[in-house]
Amino acid sequence: MSRTRLLRTASFRLAAIYLALFAASALALGAFVYLSIRHEILADFDERIVEETDALRSAFAEGGRERLAQMLEARGASGGAFAYGLQSPDGRLIAGDLRAPAGGAADGWMEAREADSDEPPEAKPEIVRALATRLGDGSTLVVGDEQRRSEEILKGVMSAFGWAVAATVALGTAGGLWLSAQFLGRIDSMRRTAQRLMAGDWSRRIPLTRTDDDLTALARTFNRLFDRIEKLLLANKQVTADIAHDLRKPLASTLRQLEAARSVDAPPEAARAAVRAAIAEIEGVLETFNALLRIGEVEAGARRAAFRPLDLAEVAREVVEAFQPAAEVEGKAIIARLEASLPMPGDKELLVQMIANLVDNAVSHTPSGTSIEVSGEQTSQGVSLSIADDGPGVAPQDLKNIFQRFYRADMARKSPGTGLGLSLVAAIAELHGLQCSASDNRPGLRVMLTSAEENE
Amino acid sequence: MKILVIEDDEGTAGFIAAGLETRGHEAVVARDGREGFERATADRFDAIVLDRMLPKLDGLGVVALMRAERVSTPVLFLTNLSGIDDRVDGLEAGGDDYLVKPFAFEELMARLIALARRPTLGASTTLLAAGDLEMDLVARTVRRGGEDVVLQPREFRLLEFLLRSEGRLVTRKMLLEQVWEFHFDPQTNIVETHISRLRTKIDRGHDASLIHTVRGAGYMLRVANPAA
Repeated sequence: MSRTRLLRTASFRLAAIYLALFAASALALGAFVYLSIRHEILADFDERIVEETDALRSAFAEGGRERLAQMLEARGASGGAFAYGLQSPDGRLIAGDLRAPAGGAADGWMEAREADSDEPPEAKPEIVRALATRLGDGSTLVVGDEQRRSEEILKGVMSAFGWAVAATVALGTAGGLWLSAQFLGRIDSMRRTAQRLMAGDWSRRIPLTRTDDDLTALARTFNRLFDRIEKLLLANKQVTADIAHDLRKPLASTLRQLEAARSVDAPPEAARAAVRAAIAEIEGVLETFNALLRIGEVEAGARRAAFRPLDLAEVAREVVEAFQPAAEVEGKAIIARLEASLPMPGDKELLVQMIANLVDNAVSHTPSGTSIEVSGEQTSQGVSLSIADDGPGVAPQDLKNIFQRFYRADMARKSPGTGLGLSLVAAIAELHGLQCSASDNRPGLRVMLTSAEENE
Repeated sequence: MKILVIEDDEGTAGFIAAGLETRGHEAVVARDGREGFERATADRFDAIVLDRMLPKLDGLGVVALMRAERVSTPVLFLTNLSGIDDRVDGLEAGGDDYLVKPFAFEELMARLIALARRPTLGASTTLLAAGDLEMDLVARTVRRGGEDVVLQPREFRLLEFLLRSEGRLVTRKMLLEQVWEFHFDPQTNIVETHISRLRTKIDRGHDASLIHTVRGAGYMLRVANPAA
């Protein structure tokens, strides 16, 4: 899979958009937190200086400049957090080491410089935030604190946020790439399968993953679509082959018969017989066409609009009753086990034909002495109808093919019929949502029509 | 009978007209739907043979217009191969019967006679009889020569149909459609066996058979001429 295709995938683009939104909101949050922390820290910082200044001012009020100078010396020596300075009105430093900048002897906040004798003069002098207060005798008290500590805290907060955002972007990018690669891989397998199918390999199906998600459901739907297409293609192939056999053959033999009848020296009786035979052949061909068109009509599904609620058992009883006398004449018995009612919506005319075709087959393709059982029952899915005989049955390899158009097991090929009766049964069953299956009745053939499970 | 044939295919129209004339009936042929409609409304016919596919006005349109003009002449539709929907549509539009092409002339003839002789609506009878055979449609009983004949429901329906068509040919196809509602022809001879059962039941103990087989065409319920 190429990198550009990966970048173009819908899921990657989606991931990128989410990532950008998330990074933007993280940045906004970071800025807000940073600014609030900074505000808090600075306010706290200033408050401490003000408090210290107030304490010193009350000391000045009690004991004057002397006492204040002593206190400043004591506090400076104890290594407290603050830096102090007491300047005489002429700018001379009386106590402490904090000096207000020149000319800045006014009240208020300022940036002061520490005149620390320990540090070498070339070193960058420490700048501290300081509060200058003019005292009653004209001297100025300066109380300051190193701002470096609060700046370090803020710097730490900043860098933590920087790392967090960087990690988010990195993880998001990697995750987005991975997710879209997963997604794309599955889409790709669908595309590849479709291409193989188009290339003619109709047995291909999309491999299903173990996770049961939307894509798996989509793949399953596609696979069912492919099943249907494959079935139609096979049926089409079969029809083409069988039209050649089932329609061309009688037409060709008709042509031969008529040509023979036309010849001058043909005796009149022979000519008449040839014409009779030709008519019979043509009738067979028309019957086949009729059956094909009827199947087509049923498969198109237009009749579904005419569905009415009915009882399939009732329909089956009527069919059984119609066939019983004829079967008895041929030494066969039809037994109906249709006590349960089988309600379903349907087209009665078509259902009659469906059951009649099955019973008709059972009666006409079995030897004398066969018994045929038509039984129905209600199932959890709906209804189930079975038409079974104990005749010679159908070879196992033919069982799954008997519902195909023109398919006739070797035995049946010799007997009359279009070979389309069971295809029509299958088409009518499908129209009614019934599943049609043939199985070995040991001995004999059993055809089951059961309500198919609801499709998802 | 006087029959109007509305059919654009010359071969089929000629085949029907010639067949009708050799049997002593009168045939009028119209070549398209509009001409057919005009003739049907201008003159009285015993029945109309109407093709589904016609130039200018199709079969359904002809029947719908005719019925709108209160022309109640029975109509037999000719449909092409297959056509489940064709038949339903035709009957819904006001047709009375249908026949799928190609057909045997005897089949068409039998149906035309049945249509032309059909009793008008409202004239309902509760008693059918032929010779010494009586059928009570209300009590659902059958008697022959005063003796009860016990029939199954389907046999009753079969006999009823034959009685209503007394003296006229009834084809296998007509019986399949009318008695069993089978619009297809099964390989098994279900009509023959039912007829023979019915025959056994109603002819038992009687010399004269009522149900006659018309070779290659169908059946007819007919009281034998005492003189013959």
